[in-house]
Amino acid sequence: MRVVVAASVSALVIAAPTSAFAVDYLSADQAAKLMFPEADAFEARNVTLDAAQLQQLDAQGVRGRSASWPVRVAKRAGATLGFVVTDAVIGKVELIDYAVGIALDGNIRQVEILSYRESHGFEIRLPAWRKQFVGKGSASTLRTGDDIANISGATLSCNHVTDGVRRIVAVVALARRGGTLA
Amino acid sequence: MSSTRPRALPARALLAASLALSASTAFAQSATETALAQRLDQLAAELAAVKAQLVQLQQAQAAAPAPAAPVAQAAPGSFGTTPPAPGSAPAYSASLLGPGTVLTSYGEINYNRPTRQTQNTQVDVRRFVLGYQHRFDEKTKVVTELEVEHAVSSAADPGEVEVEQAYIERQLTPVWSLRAGLFLMPVGLLNENHEPTAFYGVERNFVETAIIPSTWREGGAQLVGNFDNGLTVQGGITTGFDLNKWDATSTEGKESPLFSIHQELALAKGHDLAAFGAVNWRGIPGLLVGGSLFTGQATQAQAVDKARITLWDIHARWTPGKWDFSTVYTRGTISNTAALNAALVGNPTLIPKSFDGFYLQGAYKVWSFDDYALSPFARWEQFNTAKSYADLGMGLTPEAARAERVVTMGANLQVSQGVVLKADYQRFRENADLNRVNLGLGWSF
Repeated sequence: MRVVVAASVSALVIAAPTSAFAVDYLSADQAAKLMFPEADAFEARNVTLDAAQLQQLDAQGVRGRSASWPVRVAKRAGATLGFVVTDAVIGKVELIDYAVGIALDGNIRQVEILSYRESHGFEIRLPAWRKQFVGKGSASTLRTGDDIANISGATLSCNHVTDGVRRIVAVVALARRGGTLA
Repeated sequence: MSSTRPRALPARALLAASLALSASTAFAQSATETALAQRLDQLAAELAAVKAQLVQLQQAQAAAPAPAAPVAQAAPGSFGTTPPAPGSAPAYSASLLGPGTVLTSYGEINYNRPTRQTQNTQVDVRRFVLGYQHRFDEKTKVVTELEVEHAVSSAADPGEVEVEQAYIERQLTPVWSLRAGLFLMPVGLLNENHEPTAFYGVERNFVETAIIPSTWREGGAQLVGNFDNGLTVQGGITTGFDLNKWDATSTEGKESPLFSIHQELALAKGHDLAAFGAVNWRGIPGLLVGGSLFTGQATQAQAVDKARITLWDIHARWTPGKWDFSTVYTRGTISNTAALNAALVGNPTLIPKSFDGFYLQGAYKVWSFDDYALSPFARWEQFNTAKSYADLGMGLTPEAARAERVVTMGANLQVSQGVVLKADYQRFRENADLNRVNLGLGWSF
């Protein structure tokens, strides 16, 4: 069904530009460094979820969306400090690029907005909104209107970024439990 | 899984996978469900591999003409921590670009049943809106919406076709952008966020329909500033109202004074331009506090007398947890109406000097499951479209209208993030014949 949906979406896409940034705030590398300033290296990993893991995500109420997740593993002197995952979700009609930093205890260390392109709702970039995620993990609800306050006029952006963060937290937890992400 | 190994898959294979996947899904309830589910998983994994490969190819293509310095500086197997050159795109973003042109839409189909005059029950495609947004380059885009009201527009039908928005937006700096064209005015809570999924109740509230014209737009230019402290500032110069359109023989001006004289950039008279400003602060998550001011002359050099129309509002919305509270107060004035009304005396609808409205609304999400969310709400509003008239002399000055008070109680049921079912009951204090039950279906994407 995902393929059918993807085909429908692509039918609406009349052209794709070579670049599309209204405002870029950070690169993924800058975000990783910001989240783990003590790291001396970021190791590139690609977490691939198998069908069973995707089904587990689904059972948790998290839509897996993709089986393949590039992860930056923050290291210091060879020891793992945490993980940074970058992703993009659609706000209302445009993509929002964001990054999630996850500490070794599985809780969110930081959320950063990398690029925001919508005409409305840039407020999700404000530190006060992003701070709501800090310390929350897979045991948290991580839903707008529950433990994450919505921003009036930016409801879709809030919902979709929050859903995305919840998915990343679940994916990292799953990969760590499965041993593919140490 | 081994299927993640890079493997060249042509578009034909992708198409075959799509068809196979669709077929698999369609027959998922059959006796061979397990086998089909496994096949589905395998195909999904293969598709993910193809996607990953596509991204890699795009990255490689994008990186090909550029100097390899940042990557070369990074240790093998590590991400470089060198910041990108000023103005260059983040590496991740470059691989996941949004579409250049996006189709958007929203619509409302409403059922209204007056409880005392059931013969007036109506079902209506209230609005059907199609729009597109297109990016010309990384900083410039056009946003449009074309609306059909009441399903059919012809000489014999009640419908209308309207260009609701058509503006160009250019991002000047990370803080400031410039909008020019036909745009929605940043007034109240509803006007810029008027999709059915964004408000409670089948119908838009009366304050932001009768006092602030519904879907109020003007042509002009505005600067939009988004500051890091949560402040959004908007200001600009636009077209204004045309008081020459005031029809004293109809009741339109009593229903909504400004709606009856708005121009919507349809051969709009442009002699008298207006200025507006709006400030909104969202510095605390869940809280929005703001206000707006619009003012401009409105006789458009068509009459001897000049008149200024001013409309302002203050508004707030607070969404702690599952609660959602909002309030708007707005007030409009028209100057020099004594002179304008002198020629209209004897008609049923003279031009009011002032009009205002206020509402309080509360909603609570009582239940949610997956994308379903049920939110009962209650709204109390008071509005007066003719709160005062300028003095025309004994026996000639119309009496101010009585403020209408409306209580609306009902619920929104979100079916998915873009689809909502609504039901409510509205009770009118002044004109109880308008009491009604409403049902609605809305969507937005």
